[in-house]
Amino acid sequence: MGIARNPRNGWRAALGVAALVVATSALAADPIKIGLVAALSGPSAQSGEAITQGLTIAIDEINAAGGLLGRPLALVKRDDESSPPKGATAARELIYDEKVAAIFGGLDTPVSLAIVPIANKEHVPYMGVWAAGTPITRNGANPNFAFRVSAVDVMVDEALLKYAQKNGAKKPGLILINNPWGESNEKGLKEEAQKLGITLAGIEKFEDRDVDIVPQLTRLKNAGADALILVANAAPGAQVMKARERMGWKVPVISHWGVSGGRFPELAGPTAGDVVFVQTYSFFGNQKPAGKKVLSELEKKYKVSGPEGVISPVGVADAYDAMHLLALAIKKAGSTKGDAVRQALHEIDEYQGLIKTYHKPFSAQNQDALGPDDYVFVRFEGNKIVPVH
Amino acid sequence: MSERTYAARASSPPALYAAIAALTLGGGVASYFANGYQQYVIAMVAITAIVGVGLNVLLGLAGQLSLGHVGFYAIGAYACAILTTRYGWSFWIVLPLAGIAAAIAGALLAAPALRVRGPYLAMVTIAFGFVIEQSAAEMKSLTGGWNGIMNVPRPTFAGLAMDEFGIGVLALVLLAALLVLFARLRGGTWGLAMRATRDAEVASQSIGLALVTIRTVAFVISAFLAGIAGALFAILGNFVSPESFPFFQSITFLLVVLVGGAGTVLGPVAGAIVVVLLPEVLSFLAEYRLLFFGVLLLIVLWLVPEGIVGAIGRRLRAADARTPQSDENRVAAFLATDTSGSAPGSRDGLVVDGLAIAFGGTQAVNDVSLVAKPGEVTSIIGPNGAGKTTLLNLIGGFYRADRGSVVLDGVVLPKGTTYRIARAGIARTFQTTQLFARMTVLENVLIALRRGGLGGVREAVGQGADADATALGCALLAFAGYRGSIHRPAGELPHVDRRLVEIARALATRPRVLLLDEPAAGLGEGDTKRLGALLQRIAKRGVAVVIIEHDMNLVMGISDHIVALDAGRRLVAGTPADVRANDDVRAAYLGEGELAIARSAARSESSEIVLAVDGVDAGYGPLPVLSQIRLDVKRGELVALLGANGAGKSTLMRAIAGLHRPVRGRVLLLGREIALLPAHRIVRDGLTLVPEGRQVFSELSVVDNILMGALALDRRAAESEVERLIARFPILDPLRDRRAGLLSGGEQQMLAIARGLAARPKIVLLDEPSLGLAPAIVESLYRVLEQLRSEGTTILLVDQMARLALSIADRAYVIQSGRVVQQGSAEDVRNDAALEKAYLG
Amino acid sequence: MDLFVAALVTGVGLGSMYGLLALGFYVTYAVSSTVNFAQGSTMMLGAVMGFTFGVTLGLPWIVAILLALVACVVWGVVVEAIGVRPFARRGSDLWLMATVALGLILENVVLFTFGKDPRGMPQSALTAEAFSVGGLRVSLLQVTIPVVGLAIAFALHVLTRHTRSGKSMLAIVQNPDAARLMGIDVRAAIVGAYAVSGLFAGIAGLLIAPLFTVSSSMGTLFGIKAFAVAILGGIGNPWGVVLAGLIYGSAESLITATFGSTYTQILTFGLVIVALALRPDGLFGRAGVKKV
Repeated sequence: MGIARNPRNGWRAALGVAALVVATSALAADPIKIGLVAALSGPSAQSGEAITQGLTIAIDEINAAGGLLGRPLALVKRDDESSPPKGATAARELIYDEKVAAIFGGLDTPVSLAIVPIANKEHVPYMGVWAAGTPITRNGANPNFAFRVSAVDVMVDEALLKYAQKNGAKKPGLILINNPWGESNEKGLKEEAQKLGITLAGIEKFEDRDVDIVPQLTRLKNAGADALILVANAAPGAQVMKARERMGWKVPVISHWGVSGGRFPELAGPTAGDVVFVQTYSFFGNQKPAGKKVLSELEKKYKVSGPEGVISPVGVADAYDAMHLLALAIKKAGSTKGDAVRQALHEIDEYQGLIKTYHKPFSAQNQDALGPDDYVFVRFEGNKIVPVH
Repeated sequence: MSERTYAARASSPPALYAAIAALTLGGGVASYFANGYQQYVIAMVAITAIVGVGLNVLLGLAGQLSLGHVGFYAIGAYACAILTTRYGWSFWIVLPLAGIAAAIAGALLAAPALRVRGPYLAMVTIAFGFVIEQSAAEMKSLTGGWNGIMNVPRPTFAGLAMDEFGIGVLALVLLAALLVLFARLRGGTWGLAMRATRDAEVASQSIGLALVTIRTVAFVISAFLAGIAGALFAILGNFVSPESFPFFQSITFLLVVLVGGAGTVLGPVAGAIVVVLLPEVLSFLAEYRLLFFGVLLLIVLWLVPEGIVGAIGRRLRAADARTPQSDENRVAAFLATDTSGSAPGSRDGLVVDGLAIAFGGTQAVNDVSLVAKPGEVTSIIGPNGAGKTTLLNLIGGFYRADRGSVVLDGVVLPKGTTYRIARAGIARTFQTTQLFARMTVLENVLIALRRGGLGGVREAVGQGADADATALGCALLAFAGYRGSIHRPAGELPHVDRRLVEIARALATRPRVLLLDEPAAGLGEGDTKRLGALLQRIAKRGVAVVIIEHDMNLVMGISDHIVALDAGRRLVAGTPADVRANDDVRAAYLGEGELAIARSAARSESSEIVLAVDGVDAGYGPLPVLSQIRLDVKRGELVALLGANGAGKSTLMRAIAGLHRPVRGRVLLLGREIALLPAHRIVRDGLTLVPEGRQVFSELSVVDNILMGALALDRRAAESEVERLIARFPILDPLRDRRAGLLSGGEQQMLAIARGLAARPKIVLLDEPSLGLAPAIVESLYRVLEQLRSEGTTILLVDQMARLALSIADRAYVIQSGRVVQQGSAEDVRNDAALEKAYLG
Repeated sequence: MDLFVAALVTGVGLGSMYGLLALGFYVTYAVSSTVNFAQGSTMMLGAVMGFTFGVTLGLPWIVAILLALVACVVWGVVVEAIGVRPFARRGSDLWLMATVALGLILENVVLFTFGKDPRGMPQSALTAEAFSVGGLRVSLLQVTIPVVGLAIAFALHVLTRHTRSGKSMLAIVQNPDAARLMGIDVRAAIVGAYAVSGLFAGIAGLLIAPLFTVSSSMGTLFGIKAFAVAILGGIGNPWGVVLAGLIYGSAESLITATFGSTYTQILTFGLVIVALALRPDGLFGRAGVKKV
C-alpha cells in the first residue's frame, strides 16, 4: 500500500493540518488587550459607561480595518468603584495578569493618581480620558507614561476666569463641589485669579448629597459676587441652580464641564440655560464625518437617540480620539512594548480626530493632547447644547 | 497527661500553631512565585487579616460591635504617610507609632463608646468613622486634602527597597505573630475576662472584673492593630487619600470577623481571604462584581452563621467529659485563708447599718440594719416586694444607697461600685443564674479565681490556664456538688447544675461574705436538701452566708440567724425560733404554716373532656424529652402534673400550648386538633398557659399587662376584667401604673397569673405558679385556685409543691424522665410510693 | 437673619425626611430589636419606582405613587424574610450584615435597570412656588414634608400608647413567647413592621425626589443619617425620633449657614458622639428596666 492509500497516514495528515490550523488561528486570534479602569458602578457609573462606549466604537472600527499588527484589539474593563485602592489593584491585575498594552483611565482623579505611579514603574502607557487633575500628567516622573486626551483643570480654570472677566464680571464667587475634583480646581482657580489680578468674592463648597445650597449662595451674594464659577457634576450642579432659582438671583453662571455629564436640563429645571460651560466636544450642531459616524454607531450599538441622548459627550469623544491615537502609536512602534509605544506617541505628527485635527499631540514636555484653545463655551437651549458667542 | 500539659494544650493546641505556620509559609511561598498583582493581593489579604485580628479581640472576645474601624485604619495610614513623606522618618520607627496614634484615638473613643450599647454603640462608631474620613479631607495642610498624599516611600530592608513581595512577607510574619498572641490572649486571664464581660456584664462585675477597663483595653488593642495595618497599607499602595477609607470599609472589616468566625483564632484569615480574594476572582465581572459580591455574601451568611472557621471548629471539637476531682482540704485551705484588707484582728463579719434607698418616690429599703457573722448562715425572709433583693443589691454595690453604710470586717465598703466590693470579699449569686454562657464550666470558675486581678502583659499572653488554678477550680466545683463535665459550655447546663456552678464561681473569689438570692428556687426536695448541706459546709469554712429564701423548711433548717423584712423595713431579727413565733412575721409572711385550704366537695363527674393528650413525643433536636404522654383533663377538673426537675413537665406544658413545635402525637382541645397549631392560634380557642418564671412585659404597666391577656375581648369587657382580676389579686392594686419590670419577683408572678386569666379561658395551664412566692402569698394563691376550681374553671397545674398541688387537685399524673409513671385520683397518688421516688430519687 | 430663617426652613424639611426614615427604624426595632440597616436603599427604591411609573411609563401620578409604595412594602417584606428572619430566629446578630448585603444588591440591580445617570422629577403643583419667606421661595412640598412626618409620628404615638394593638406590638420585643401566649401572631407582627418600615421609606423617597435627584445611590447617606436620628431620638420613642430628626436637620442647616458645608458632617457626627456620651439612651429615650 502506498503512502496516499494507507488510512493511517491519512489520519496523520488530517491531524497535522488540523493542528496547524488551530495553531495559526490561535496566533492570529491572540488579541492586543486594552485595559480600562473606571467607575462602572456607584454614583459615577455613567462616566464609565460613556468611556466604554467611546473606546468600543473606536476599537470596533480598528478591528474592522484588520486590527493592529495583525491582531484584533480587545477591551478589558475593570470597576474601580471610585476607590483609589481598588483602582490600583485593578491596574495591577491588568498589567501583571492580563498583560494589557495600555490602561485607559476614568473620571476620578485620586484613582488616576494612584494608578499613574504603577504605570510609570511598569512602563505601561496610561491614557487619561476624563479626570482632569493637573498632577496626573504633570507627575514629575521620567520617563513619564501618563498621557491624556481631556481637559486639564488648571487650563480650564484659566479659561473660566478669562471668560468671566471678558463678560464684565469683576468679583466672581466660586461654588465648588467638595471632593478631589473641586479641590483641584480650587487650587487652579486661586492661582489663576492671582495671575489675572481678579479678586474672588468668596470660595464656597458644598457636598455631593446636599439638597439645599442656599446658605452658600447667600454668603456669596452678600459678599458681592457678580458671577458664579461652578465646578460640579450635573446632579449637584442642578441643586445649585435650583437654589439660585429659589433665591431669585439672576447672576451669570460659568461652569466647568461637569454639568454636561448628565441630563442637566431635566435635573436643574428651567434655569439650566443660564449656565455657560466648557466642552471639549459637542455632538450638537454640524458634525464632521467623524462625528456623524460616531453618532450613528452610538445609535446602532447603544440605542442612543441623537445628540440629546449622549449623556456624557466628553467621555465618549475623549475616549474615541484617545483610542485612535494610541492605535496610531502602536502601529508606528510596530510593537506593544511600553517604551516603544511611548516613544511613538511622541512621534505622532498629524491626526484627524473627532474633537479636532491633532498636530503633534504629545511631546516629552506636554503629554496633554488638548489645551485651552480646544475649549469651547456652550450652553443648554432646551435639551440641546449650543455654542455661545 | 498532666494537668499542666492539658491546660496548656487546651488554650493553644499544637495543631493551631502548626496551622498558623503552614498558612504563613504557604502565603510566603505563593507570593514568591507570583506576579506583582498577585503579590499585592496576598499582601492585602494579610493586612486585612491584621485588622480582623484586632476587631476579633473587640467583637469576638469582648462582644463590642464597632462599625467605624476604618477610622483607626486611616489614622495609621495617614500617620505613616505624613511622617515618612513630610518628615522623612524611617518606616521602622513609624510603624509602631502609627499603631500608637490609632490606639490613642481608640482610648479616646472608648470613653463615649462604652457608655452605650447595642445600636447606640454602632452609631457612635459609625460617626467616628465619618469624622475621621471627613477630617482627612478638610485638614488639607496636614493630610493633603482630597487629593491625598502621593509617593509614600517604600522602606528599605537590608539595603533594598521593599517591593510587594517584601511587604507581603512582613505582613504575613506580623500576622502570624498576632495570631499566636491572640490565641494566648483568648486562653489567658484577659481573654477570659473579656469573654466574661461579654456574656454577663453584671455577673462579671460581681466577681471583681473592672468592666470599663477591660473593654477599653479591648478597644485600644483593636485600634492599635488597625493602625499598624493602615501603615502597611500606606507603604503598599504608596498613596493615601480620604476616598481610600469610606464607611463601607468598616463593614468589610466587620465581615472579615463574622464570615471567618468571631472569637476563633483563624477566623480573620479565612474572612480576609473571602473578603479580599473573592472580589479579585470576580473582577472579570466588572460592573456586576458588586452585585455578585452582595449575593455571595448573603449566601455565606445563610450557610455558615458561626463563620467558616467556627463551623469547621465545631466539627473538630472532641467531646471532653472530664468531671471535677474532689479535694476538700484544698477548698478548706483556700476559703480559710485570711485575705488582706480587713482591719487587723477584726472578724466582725458583715455589718449593715441603716441602709436606705428610694426609687421614684417609693422607699424600697428603709433604714435596714443587720449583722451577718462569719461561720453563720443568716437568712433574710419577707413577703414579695419587701426589699430583700434590693437590700442584697445595695450590699453588693449594684445600687447606690441613699443613706447608711456597709462595713466588712471593720472596713467601710465603697458605695455603688460592684467590682470593688467584690474584690473586698463579697460574692453573690443571682435570682436567675447569670453564668458566662459561652464559656465552659471550668472557665467560669477560673476567671473568678483571679478576683479581678488580671495581671499585666506577661500574664495576658503567657502560659494560659495554670495547673494549680485548674485543680483548685475543679476542687471548688466538686465541693459545690457539680458532677458534670467541666468543659461543657455553661449555657447548656440544666437548672440545678447552673446554681451549683454559680455557687462555685462565687466561692472562687475567696469571699468572706456570700450572698445568695433564692438559691433553692426551682429545686426539688432532694436538691434543696443537698443545697442546704452545702451552705452549711460553706459557713463552716468561715464564710458569712447570707441567703434570701422562701423555702421555710430550708430556712428554718439551716439558719443560725434570721432577719425578717416587710415593706422595706426590718420587722424582727433573731433565732429561727424567735422569728417563727413572732406574730407580725406570721401575719405578714408565714401564714398559718398549715396549708389549711378547705377543699370543696368533689364535683359531680363531668364527662366532657376539655383537653386530651394522646401519644405525644417531643424533644429538642435529637434529644427526646417526652415519650408517649397520655393524659386528659375533664371540664371543671383541676389536674396536677407532678414530677422532679427535668422530668419534662414544662416541656409538656409548652408543647400543649403551642410554644414547642413540632410535636408528634395528638393534642385535642374540645375535640379540635391543636398539635399543629402555633401558640397564638391556640389561645383563640380558649387555652391559656401561664408560663414558668414570671414572663411579664417589663416595659408595660401592670394594667397594660393584664389588658394584653384580654386582647380577644372588646375594650369594655377587657377593662372590666382588669378590675375583676385586681380585686382577686389585691396585691396589684397599688401597683397599677408601675412598669412591670420594676415589680418584685412575687408581684410579677401574681401579675402573670392575673394576665393569664384575663381572657376567661376554657382551660388554664399553670406552670410553677408558686415559684418565688412568699408562703403567705402561696396560700392565698392556692385559695384563688381552689376558688376558680369551684367556679368551674378547668385547670392543669404543674407545681414543685406536690403536696399543696395535690391538696386541691381532683386527679394527678406523675411524670418521670418524660413518661407518665403514675396517674389516678389525688388521694391515690398522694399515698403512692412512686411519688416519693419521683421527687427524691 | 434671612440666612438663618432660610436655613431653618430647609432644616425642618430635611429633618422631617430623616425623621420619617428613622420612624422606619423605630417600627421594626420596637417590635423585633432588628432594623433594615439599608433603609436608605428602600427610600431610593420608592423614588426610583415613582419616577419609573410616573415619568418613564407616564402613568397618572396617583397610580404611580401607589405602585411605588407597594413596591417598597413588598421589598420591606422580602428584606425581613431573607435578611432578618433566618438570623434573628437563631439569635444571631448577622441580620445587620445581611440587610447591608441586600441593600447592596438592590442598589446594583437598580443601577443596571434604571440607568446610571441621575434623573430629575418634573415640576408639579407641589413644587411650584407657594409663598416667600425672607426673600426665599418656599414650595408647598417643603411644607408638606414636615407635616407628613409629624402626622405619622403622631399616629404612631397614639397607636402604641393608647390602643391595645399598638401596645401589643411593643409587648412582642419585651417577651416574644409571652406575646404568643396572649394570642399575638408574632411573626405576622414582625413582617407587618417591616412592611410599614418600607412604606415609610417609600413615602420619604417620593417626597424628597422632587427636591433632589433620583439615582441608585441617592439613599446611602440619607440612611446613615436617619440611623443617627433614630439613635439620637432614643429608638424606642416615635416622638423622640421625629424631634431628633428636626433637631439634626436644623443643626445641619444652621452649621452650613454659619461655617459652610465642609465642616458640617464632621460637626454633626461629632455632636452625635457627644450627645450619646452624655445621654446614652438617646436624647429622648428612656433607659430600659434593668434588674438583677
